[in-house]
Amino acid sequence: MFGYVRPFRPELKCKDFDLYRATYCGLCRCLRRRYGLIAPMFLNFDFTFLALLLWEPEESFAPCRGRCHANPLRRLPMCQDSPALELAADESVILAWWKLRDSVEDEGFWSGMGARGLSGLLGPAYRKAARRRPEFDGTVRVCLEELSVLEKENCPSLDKTADTFARLLQSAAPGEGERGRVLSQLLYHLGRWIYLADARDDLEEDKLAGRYNPVSARYGSEGDDCALGLTMDQSLALIGAALQLGEFGCRRPLLENITYLGLPLVKKAVFDGSWKEIKKQKIWRNDT
Amino acid sequence: MRDPYNVLGVSQSASDDEVKKAYRELARKYHPDNYQNNPLADLAEEKMKEINEAYDAITKQRAGGYAGASSGGYSGYQRGYSATDPTYAQIRNLINAGDLGQAEQLLYGVGQKDGEWYFLSGSIAYRRGWLDEAMQNYSRAVQLEPNNLEYRQALSLMQRGTMGGYRPAGYGAGLDTMDCCTTMLCLNCLCGGGRC
Repeated sequence: MFGYVRPFRPELKCKDFDLYRATYCGLCRCLRRRYGLIAPMFLNFDFTFLALLLWEPEESFAPCRGRCHANPLRRLPMCQDSPALELAADESVILAWWKLRDSVEDEGFWSGMGARGLSGLLGPAYRKAARRRPEFDGTVRVCLEELSVLEKENCPSLDKTADTFARLLQSAAPGEGERGRVLSQLLYHLGRWIYLADARDDLEEDKLAGRYNPVSARYGSEGDDCALGLTMDQSLALIGAALQLGEFGCRRPLLENITYLGLPLVKKAVFDGSWKEIKKQKIWRNDT
Repeated sequence: MRDPYNVLGVSQSASDDEVKKAYRELARKYHPDNYQNNPLADLAEEKMKEINEAYDAITKQRAGGYAGASSGGYSGYQRGYSATDPTYAQIRNLINAGDLGQAEQLLYGVGQKDGEWYFLSGSIAYRRGWLDEAMQNYSRAVQLEPNNLEYRQALSLMQRGTMGGYRPAGYGAGLDTMDCCTTMLCLNCLCGGGRC
């Protein structure tokens, strides 16, 4: 997960913005309570979306106040703990840890030092989370192994490589019942979309480093933004179709904003190269 | 049955026009065209049935209990298909039932690859979410049999990307006009500022 899934603020209503912020802060607090001081460092927009998505549908939400992790002198509105928030927190830790392990494997001994240090710090939290969600941890492990085999083979199929990450994210929601089916389909295509966006984002870098990149393996070293954009849009259309079939209560406007406005804008930024700038700058500001 | 007004999301006192408008919006949302070959198509169909029944119930009620005032709303999506090859017909049934593994196995058993073969292969890929492969197979099917309407429709549904499907009001595709700097500005001020 890489922070691609974010709302488009100018079109958010104030109450939806408050809800988003409260969920973000609530997830941060939940990570701190369950996993100590290190885990909140790995909080990001994607995990917030996951928490919003997994939440049982409610007609309205009432935030409580809690202390900010970054600045304990401030008290902020936060959403209350719930099973969905706990699930999102556990899964965040597992995903963050595996992503760090992945960077350690990819980088050399020296350049991988940072990631290795961080994954060492996150280790105890990860082991706790893996005990709580053994099934999810198992799926993530299997999918990432499959992915690394495909990468070594220089797999030319875009769908096959994206499928591994899509299935990984799909397993973040319990798949039973009507709601489970809707969430599964939504998360599958979200995973596919994220994987493709990330592959496009890494295109230049991978070319210079001589690494495998699914987009260049499929479309050639220059990529093909038109074809890639279309297949990403098709996934987006399926995300939207699934979203319309689920019950999300008061969180629906926020989820719709992210799906119909946030994701297309991020895609645009990734394609025209401005995404690198956006990533470099600190987006979450607490001081104003 | 749920209260028909609840289903359509309008109050009991809503005017006939408001009821009609709400019905039309929901029918547009759950229209079978938006869920063709979608693994969730059955859920959309159920919703469609529910809102059709609700609309019928309200119109009947308002017409003073007069029976037979059917709305003639959107009905289920039926695709006429006359199978020439029994294996292909069987594969179609398996795809519709969601048994993709079995369908694929049968398909690989077919020796000759014609337009129908590529179309079905594309349908299986689409159901799985392998959209790039689905596009390639549909294109090949259209190439082989350019006059087949079904193949062409499947391909053109994919070519429209996000432009065709349902979007709630207020989420039109208005982002294309934005230049690079505005994009950055908008994404950057997502969550900054504004104490809650």
